[in-house]
Amino acid sequence: MKTTTIYRLIGLAIFGITTVVILFLLSEHEVHRNNAFVRRYPHHPITKMFDFDLGYDSYYIAGYSNQELFLGNHTAPLHVIKLNLITKDTTHIRVQIEDKNLPFKSVKIKLFPPYFFVMDGTVPVIFRGTLRDWEAKLWIKNNIYFTKGLPIDSNELFVRSISSKTKESVLGILKVTDTANIVLNNTLLQKQIDGVFDVDGSLLVSSDYQTLGYVYYYRNEFLVIGNNLELLAKQQTIDTVKIARISLSEIDDRGEVKMTSPPLEINKSATLSGEYIFINSKRLGKYEDGEMLNQASIIDLYDWKNKTYKFSFYVYDVDKKKIKEFKVWNDYLIAIIGNSVSVYKLKSSHFELNNTKL
Amino acid sequence: MKLSKSIYQITPTIGAFLFIVLFVYTATSKFLDFSNFQTQLGQSPLLTAYADWVSWGIPILELIIAALFIMPKYTLLAFYASYALMVMFTTYIIIILNFSDFIPCSCGGVLEKLSWTDHIVFNIVFIGIAVTGIAIQTRKKTSEKRIG
Repeated sequence: MKTTTIYRLIGLAIFGITTVVILFLLSEHEVHRNNAFVRRYPHHPITKMFDFDLGYDSYYIAGYSNQELFLGNHTAPLHVIKLNLITKDTTHIRVQIEDKNLPFKSVKIKLFPPYFFVMDGTVPVIFRGTLRDWEAKLWIKNNIYFTKGLPIDSNELFVRSISSKTKESVLGILKVTDTANIVLNNTLLQKQIDGVFDVDGSLLVSSDYQTLGYVYYYRNEFLVIGNNLELLAKQQTIDTVKIARISLSEIDDRGEVKMTSPPLEINKSATLSGEYIFINSKRLGKYEDGEMLNQASIIDLYDWKNKTYKFSFYVYDVDKKKIKEFKVWNDYLIAIIGNSVSVYKLKSSHFELNNTKL
Repeated sequence: MKLSKSIYQITPTIGAFLFIVLFVYTATSKFLDFSNFQTQLGQSPLLTAYADWVSWGIPILELIIAALFIMPKYTLLAFYASYALMVMFTTYIIIILNFSDFIPCSCGGVLEKLSWTDHIVFNIVFIGIAVTGIAIQTRKKTSEKRIG
């Protein structure tokens, strides 16, 4: 072999090795810098007002109106508890519904005061009633299916549906005037793997119903959306997992796809209030004591207008149960934890609480 | 003498053929399962931060090299490029084996079934093929020049 050829080969080998090593070092640097996310824990930004024992763990938050919290129940779908946050008085409500014989699977009651909606995305029928008489009347009946829905106006729902074209999840607004109309924006959710599982997340609506949000479960990202479905902000959380880490099975003969291993959950429940997004994360940052996760859940606070991470705080477990769902209204933070509902107040020293009063 | 000469003639062609098969096969299987490939790269401890463009760049590069092999004018260049690429893949594997406890593979197709040591052997064999190809191709070129 000629010496020039040998030199060339050695040169190329050195080039190849250094390129990969440099890529590795740069990537390490980037990942570690992000990996070293350090949470800030100011002293007691929230104060617990009380825990209220509901007796069952099947309650979910249906809504809030005038210092009163409304809770729906998964196992008794037409049963609602009204809890006055000042007096702690409870009222048990039985929702009347026109047609009980529909094949409901997961009925949810959600409030847009003074209205409430009874819906189940698998049955394309939505009932609506008022908080005065709790009589749910047929509101729409058509072929619009959705996987998640939240009322954002007296005649509008923020929904996540499956696109008939791509079979992927898509966000939209369902509006009922004379007829039901759905407007979809298929650029909001961004597919990484299959467009259904990997984009799964929580639908949010701000406490003043002016802004919408979507927090991905499996990646470090959330979206803030205007009420015409325009993207207002897309922000990364302090976590480092950009690409959802989930593994899916092949489509089986029933046309189903399943998760083959437990997914890496980045963001659990979340809530939106004014410029704040609160996200419950299970993941520990640097210098954090893992023991804390046996006693409390971590909530990270972001400001989407300024695109910043503000700080984090703990919401403590009740009877060794962790936070399942939470909402922020005015200066209340309300969390469903096991059989209880925990009510906290946000301190004005840590939060700018200039939201419109509800 | 004649036999050895024909072996000598045919070796680069076989080498080129093997590389074309390898690259076209792995690039295609990467594209066919692209999202999965991207995820694997995203989980790779080495390239996480660059998963986006690496995931496009590698299979495209593989196809370009395969195309170069088809054109006689560029065979030598293609051998050099494959040599460099195989060196890079091997470095990647060695780094991953030594510096990471989480080991993903995203080589594409049946190659993913190989163990890591098999992988290194496999790569070294291909580096060997590339070097042989380069040596013979270079000599051919110079002898052609001499004749011409």
